[in-house]
Amino acid sequence: MRQKMRYLYVEIKKMIGVFPHMLLQAIMLMILIGAIAFCGAKTMEKEPLAVRADIGVVVREDNTMTRLALGYVENLESASQVCHFVQMTEDEGIRSLEDGGIAALIILPEQLVEGIMNGANPSVEVYFPENAGLEAMLLRELTESGAGLLRVAQAQIYGAYDTAVEYGLTERLSVMEGEIDSYNLAFALDRLAVYREETVSATGKLSIIQFYAASGVILFLLLTGMAVYPVVQREPQAFRKQLARQGTGEAWQCFCKWLCGFLCMGLLGLIAWAALKAAGIFAPEMAEKLTSMLAGGRNGSHVGIQVGVVLLIVITAATLIYLIYSLAGSRSGAVLVIFLLSVVMIYLSGGLVPSMFLPKVMQTIGDKLPTAYMIRAVGGILTGYQADTLKQCVIGMCCYAVVFGAVSYWLRRRD
Amino acid sequence: MITVSDITSSYGNKKILKGASFTAQRGECIAIVGANGCGKSTLLSVLAGTLKPRSGEVLYYGRKAWSDSDTGRMHADMEVIRGMTGYVPQENPLIPELTVYDNLRLWYSDKKKLKQELEHGFLNLLGVNEFSSKQVSKLSGGMKKRVSIGIAMAGMPPVLLLDEPSAALDLVCKEDIRRYLQVYLERKGTVVITTHEESELDMCNKVYVMKNGQLNQVDRRLRGEALVKMF
Repeated sequence: MRQKMRYLYVEIKKMIGVFPHMLLQAIMLMILIGAIAFCGAKTMEKEPLAVRADIGVVVREDNTMTRLALGYVENLESASQVCHFVQMTEDEGIRSLEDGGIAALIILPEQLVEGIMNGANPSVEVYFPENAGLEAMLLRELTESGAGLLRVAQAQIYGAYDTAVEYGLTERLSVMEGEIDSYNLAFALDRLAVYREETVSATGKLSIIQFYAASGVILFLLLTGMAVYPVVQREPQAFRKQLARQGTGEAWQCFCKWLCGFLCMGLLGLIAWAALKAAGIFAPEMAEKLTSMLAGGRNGSHVGIQVGVVLLIVITAATLIYLIYSLAGSRSGAVLVIFLLSVVMIYLSGGLVPSMFLPKVMQTIGDKLPTAYMIRAVGGILTGYQADTLKQCVIGMCCYAVVFGAVSYWLRRRD
Repeated sequence: MITVSDITSSYGNKKILKGASFTAQRGECIAIVGANGCGKSTLLSVLAGTLKPRSGEVLYYGRKAWSDSDTGRMHADMEVIRGMTGYVPQENPLIPELTVYDNLRLWYSDKKKLKQELEHGFLNLLGVNEFSSKQVSKLSGGMKKRVSIGIAMAGMPPVLLLDEPSAALDLVCKEDIRRYLQVYLERKGTVVITTHEESELDMCNKVYVMKNGQLNQVDRRLRGEALVKMF
């Protein structure tokens, strides 16, 4: 046992010796990720809405009333931000729809406005392309919301008419209809009422800042794996055999290497966090703003749970990195694999683009990757955990850590 | 005293050792020579306890190191092997990021004993004390080999197993190591050495040629072509 403890002591001493080099690499990495995050944030500030769809409009009967109605809709704030209406003939519209030139085609029937006024309510036809993109999805949502509003407004008018007739209050009908109109117009003109509010996020209830903070933390943690090579590398066979001869078996050797890798990654993460905290002292306003953005929606998980989850995240990440170094033959190969695998896994897990925008197959694969559990776990720290999510994350990360650890041990023993 | 009887060993289906046997007395130096890949290092690994043989028996001073167990499988008594032998493999078992002292500390259980060895003992004789505070990655090949021998000598084992200790070393280093081994032999230690260096044969009492997985003792004065003919 003394020999084993001496070996652990020596490995930790070695780790302390090479730590400044690792720290330097981690700082460079942080600067790089920070620069990317800064540029991303600036871009998001400048372009709050990246999607603006061209909509084809076919007016079958070009009269003043229809033009006025179209102009009104076109200039509504809710519509003008996401739509650009282009008037065209029906043939042009269908061709453009097939070519992907427009996101939707609206055909306004004859006597549209008059029909609305006299209750005939002629149908407006809206066509979407078969493989609807993001713009078409957005427009479909808008159209369905608008149609829903109209249905409700009609039901109110007919309901009020029937009630007035039943109770002999027909003389007050015009007043009632006026009130219903002003209520519905006020409702329709409120931009927010048109949208069905749904947060688009990989973890469901995270804000954009929380979302990118969660995936950024995991990406940073995995990329620090590139720096820990000196402590997790395989020692020469002669050294390992000599150790085994002295009673320090392969299992203990693996554990010591893994432990040092885990400590390094944990320490680097801790230093990065401390650096951010320290930066907050020099720029308190920015720190306060960032803290409030990150803490938004927090429902206060227990600190013990948070610490436990952070430890489990670092354990899973360290075991994954350890596996990669066990698989790779050289340092450069391992570093390349860590970089590519981290970026690809983060992407598939919805860490760069929310997974709902990825193809179904990617979503299914990404949802089961270790990075998906890790991102969700960090998200939970920011927003508070739900029991189901916490259980799922803990089980997922534990399973991955055990599998990665067992495979690494098997690989190193086989060598 | 070392008694090695009918050791067989194989890698997969390829038989490397086919009944290798020899004996060595206290204070004797045994050289094992042979062509590359003939099984010299394999035999030393078996003697050092890092490779399990298929069959055979190894005794150190009458105590069984490798023997057939009741189930017919080979059994190693690692306590005996550890206590009786020091092993210097071809590759140096060192951690390059640490100092020589830290590396030695891993193998020497007693800190006091290590200090004594550095000041007056074998490590001093090897000249390790002169560079004990240096980082291993900054040492020359000869210095590393001396540290490796120093590591093998932790616990002062009566048998020293050396696998081509002079390979790729300069003449000065070779001479230093040879001088050290002479002292060890004078103190009644037993040395088993595999080598391609004729100069190392001069200090050996017996020379064995490894051929077809077996050891054949040859005249210790044989050199050059005459010796190579025996391979």
